[in-house]
Amino acid sequence: MELLEAFQQDWAIRALLASSMVGVMCGVLGCFIVLRNMALIGDALSHAVLPGVVFAFIIVGSYSVLGIFIGAVIAGLLSAVAMTWIQQKIKTKNDAAIGIVFTAMFSIGVIGISRLSKEEGAHLDMKDFLFGNALGVSNEDLYLTAFVCIVVLYSILFFYRHLFATTFQPIIARTMGMKVELIHYFLMLLLSFAVVASLSTVGVILVVAMLITPAATALLLSDRLKNVLFLSAVFGLMAAIMGLVLAIYQDTAPGPAMVLVATLLYIGAVFFSPKKGLLFKFLAKRKQQHKIRLEDILKQSIRLEEKEALTLQNLVDKLDINKRKVKSGLNILAQRGLFEKNLSPLKLSSIGKKEAYKLVRAHRLWETYLTQQMGLNEGQIHEDAEKYEHLLTEEVLDEMDEKLGYPTIDPHGSPIPPKE
Amino acid sequence: MNTIISIKGLSVSYERKRVLTNIFLEIEAGKLHGVVGPNGAGKSTLFKAILGLIDADAGKITFEGEEIEDVRKKVVYVPQKDDVDWNFPATVFDIVLMGRFPYRKFYQRLTREDKKIAMDALVDVGMDGFKDRQIGELSGGQQQRVFLARALCQEATVFLLDEPFVGVDVTTENKIIEILKRLANEGKTLLVVHHDLSKVHEYFDRIILLNQRLIAYGDTNSAFTEENIAKAYGGQLTILHKT
Repeated sequence: MELLEAFQQDWAIRALLASSMVGVMCGVLGCFIVLRNMALIGDALSHAVLPGVVFAFIIVGSYSVLGIFIGAVIAGLLSAVAMTWIQQKIKTKNDAAIGIVFTAMFSIGVIGISRLSKEEGAHLDMKDFLFGNALGVSNEDLYLTAFVCIVVLYSILFFYRHLFATTFQPIIARTMGMKVELIHYFLMLLLSFAVVASLSTVGVILVVAMLITPAATALLLSDRLKNVLFLSAVFGLMAAIMGLVLAIYQDTAPGPAMVLVATLLYIGAVFFSPKKGLLFKFLAKRKQQHKIRLEDILKQSIRLEEKEALTLQNLVDKLDINKRKVKSGLNILAQRGLFEKNLSPLKLSSIGKKEAYKLVRAHRLWETYLTQQMGLNEGQIHEDAEKYEHLLTEEVLDEMDEKLGYPTIDPHGSPIPPKE
Repeated sequence: MNTIISIKGLSVSYERKRVLTNIFLEIEAGKLHGVVGPNGAGKSTLFKAILGLIDADAGKITFEGEEIEDVRKKVVYVPQKDDVDWNFPATVFDIVLMGRFPYRKFYQRLTREDKKIAMDALVDVGMDGFKDRQIGELSGGQQQRVFLARALCQEATVFLLDEPFVGVDVTTENKIIEILKRLANEGKTLLVVHHDLSKVHEYFDRIILLNQRLIAYGDTNSAFTEENIAKAYGGQLTILHKT
């Protein structure tokens, strides 16, 4: 019940509101950052705003939210211009140029802060800028975050088509008359806005996580940009709220807690994404292996039936699979009507024979194709055909058959079964 | 002759290496042009110069007297397929709709009319059944048809296509050439970078033969001669004759 009490306090509500807005704003903006391969620039820009904060503090003479905002945005834009200029005019590699600019800016900021902290009266806590202090969000901070959040979201809505086109195919966007460079700098401006607004909640080091992690998560789950933007906003929001609750409950720093929640969501998507997830791929692979095993049993059965005797032991010897698996495979095949019922004696049904001949046809046609069209010799083709017989579709086979002139004998001299 | 693109004294170089030298061309409207020449002849560079994507060392390009920036909407570019991020979260329909972007200011929404034009373009290239597919799930030929649909959707008068037949199936190639010929009949001007010399006579009304300099420009029958091809390809000719 401690938690419920906490969320009746003003500071907790302010923290919750500010963090939520940061989560949504960074989530949406971050999609474009990730899609434009600008994750490093996002990281760089967040560090590079520090001297702006320091200079604003020196000029204004006290802690002023508006002053810090303006100073930070100017520093961010200057850095963006410097990075782009070096990339275009000087022969320094792109990522090196980014590294040079932001570490230099960050260093100026750090020196500034350490000088300031020696003076009387002034108070600027380095740690708050690095890692944020969501629990200390002031009303001014909250207004600023709300303002920035609205500006960023509206801009993305307004310029959605421009952002989409310049991100997907910048050259085409240019031939359509869009100002690609201008959009780039505009995005940098929004990025600076978002970074400054996130300073008080997650800080400069971790803001990049709020930009890229929810976006990367969303990209694993959908392949429509609008859905990706929406999902990313949801994940950003979830990370912010759950992170904050966790931090208050466990009495730790909120910024890192939010980042960890975002990371957990990402890991979840890595495993459980319906299309791109590892679990899905694993299951699909298992299913494919299972199908191949059944097909191998079927194919060996027809060979044994024709040449030797079709018995369980012969099958096990030929297939190099353990007896138990062969048995369960035979059971499944019998259930599907490919083997005669009861399995004793083992005998392929007429449908089973048809299916088996299809596989033999695929195997031998592919071998013929490899020798005739690709110029491989007889020794090189069997292994390949063992693999492809399971993958070639009927349409492809028919086309190959036609192209090869309906061959009747494969390179090893075995007959190729005709279609049906 | 009705000139649509006028190129006067165009020279372009990359890193001090000359790619195009002193090109003069008056491109005739309403014709299907093949742009042919060996690798490194400057074919793609010519396109980029026409599109104002690169700075020329010298020369002037005008579209019926106007600068490229004033006729952007009417000049459409279909680049080579390889520099596209096929994992991008976009559907076939999203891509084709891009062709309508130049017609709407940023604060305007795309209209139902825009969507209808995009849909018609998809039907035209035979890809309407793939409207909601993510672009990476398509075959090379299908991807090329989608980009052609986007170009159609832009309702341009000048089309620049860079190697549209590379990596596509026969059905797609036939479909594309059919559409290009129809566009020429409707009075559009088309420039197509092309590699397969055996198809030149069959495909193009006029030919621009290029190897850093302009070797020949004119009707395919009169300009695409053994002599001119030899001039353009030089030593590479023997290899090319085999295909």
